[in-house]
Amino acid sequence: MFDFMRNKVVDVARLDRETLEVHGILDDSIYSLELCFKVNISDLICSGVKGRWLRWTTPECPRAIDFLHEAEGFCLKAGIDNKIHKTIGRKSCRHFANLFIECGHAVRETVKLLNWEAAQKENPEITFKQFMRNDETASMAESSPGMDNEKKELSSPSGTNKPSPKKTEHKRNAGSLGNPSAKKGKFVIDMHVHTSPASPCASDSVDAMIQEARRIGLQGICLTDHNYVWSAEAVQALSEKHDFLVLRANEIITEQGDILTFGFYENLQGITRLADLKKKVADVGGFIVAAHPFRGFLTFGADDVGLTPDSAMARELFKWVDGVETLNGKVTETENNMARDVANGLGLPSTGGSDAHDISTVGVYATAFDEVIDSEASLLAALKQGKYHPVVFR
Amino acid sequence: MSNNILKFAMNRNTSVEKINGGNLRSVCRLRDTFTDAEVVIEVKMPDMEICAISGYFRHAGWGEIEDLDRRLQAVMGVRVAAGMLKIIKGLMGEEEKIQQIVYMVEECCHGVILTLTRKVLLKAPDDEAGKVSFYSNMVKKSIRLYDRCAAFAKGTPLVAELEAEKAKGGA
Repeated sequence: MFDFMRNKVVDVARLDRETLEVHGILDDSIYSLELCFKVNISDLICSGVKGRWLRWTTPECPRAIDFLHEAEGFCLKAGIDNKIHKTIGRKSCRHFANLFIECGHAVRETVKLLNWEAAQKENPEITFKQFMRNDETASMAESSPGMDNEKKELSSPSGTNKPSPKKTEHKRNAGSLGNPSAKKGKFVIDMHVHTSPASPCASDSVDAMIQEARRIGLQGICLTDHNYVWSAEAVQALSEKHDFLVLRANEIITEQGDILTFGFYENLQGITRLADLKKKVADVGGFIVAAHPFRGFLTFGADDVGLTPDSAMARELFKWVDGVETLNGKVTETENNMARDVANGLGLPSTGGSDAHDISTVGVYATAFDEVIDSEASLLAALKQGKYHPVVFR
Repeated sequence: MSNNILKFAMNRNTSVEKINGGNLRSVCRLRDTFTDAEVVIEVKMPDMEICAISGYFRHAGWGEIEDLDRRLQAVMGVRVAAGMLKIIKGLMGEEEKIQQIVYMVEECCHGVILTLTRKVLLKAPDDEAGKVSFYSNMVKKSIRLYDRCAAFAKGTPLVAELEAEKAKGGA
């Protein structure tokens, strides 16, 4: 017997020479909804977006309809999916976004069909396969596959996102570092901070994040922008500008999930196999931490699916990491507790970090060190000595 | 020009069922004007890791994907969890030809998530006041829901309790 079923139907008709009419239905075990809109064939701009719910969950779901107009004017070319997730998914409803993405794909496929029909008028012998091969060649000339548009547009805050050719270790005078009033005599660093534009998902600049960290009394922050290496010079300049300890780290995507790296400055892109990452980091004497290892879902967590700390300890992930982030600001208390129990069970050290993407959550969680940290080298040494623990800071 | 005749039509079906040992099998099938494709994944529970995957893909223009099996096997061991989409794309590739099959793997994973979500939602009361309380507690328990969609947007009734607690410094 099936526990869940989802059906999606999308159809596209040519309303007139310039216009396509798109109609989509999503009907599953939880939700049922419809979308319809028009698309200008020449530029793929959509208009007249309308939607309706047939079945939904919360009493507030109907509000989603009011935000569908945000899709007016979207150009449904390839690469629009992220924008649909961010606007329709976030402001309206992720299920409308899901259906909208299906509709966008259907529009692009329809345009291929129309272009083939046009090509047939010039060459009646051309098959769809031949046409597609020509189309593919043309597309390849226009774009570089494997790189999303946001990354292409990203400008490095330091002028480059390549690792610094020379590792310039900089030390800060601990007495002048930001807030000298370390809580409970500890040296407290938020070990997991994202900034915009280095992390496309972040919304506040590195300057704003540092100012907030300083204001709330942290002694330092680690920049862990996704697969992004800050140059040593840029970070030193930020430290001096704000008179505050700013250190480089990284959050690297692996097949086992996100991994925080310290003391490792290679610019890795795409997905790295965790075993390969471990070797690379170990080769340069770095340290890796499993970030939010039990980050779950919107409506249920690891505990709801019957995962126990004992069974979770056997996960491949924990065979490779040097430490575990057991306080992460983006996960639930239950998920942090699971990470803590697993780290304790395996005897792995624990860190804390806010995972802040905007200033409102900087320092929610952090890591308290027994010793003063004044450089990336001293941070790395402290991490390896294990003289620290995660703290609720804010 | 006959504007009532469709140029393009698509049907996508995703279904999830329990199989031996409590694992979940999720199947995504696609039939559209150009494509006939299927992806089947098995997800090991409770780890929620992809432990088996297979599929086929036929497109009127591109034909079959020659290295489809290699692409699919690349996601073995990936955990169905938040952040999985970037991992699946990164492991399988993002060329245009492969995008639809990547999307189908994602749909299979979403099916698994929605299967488990449905179990939670079945506990919601039928009366309006009960629903408000149920979903208000849900957003308090899972802060990631906050401001993630119109229903849980800032200032809406379902997040009122959470925002009040935040204002008091309790959340």
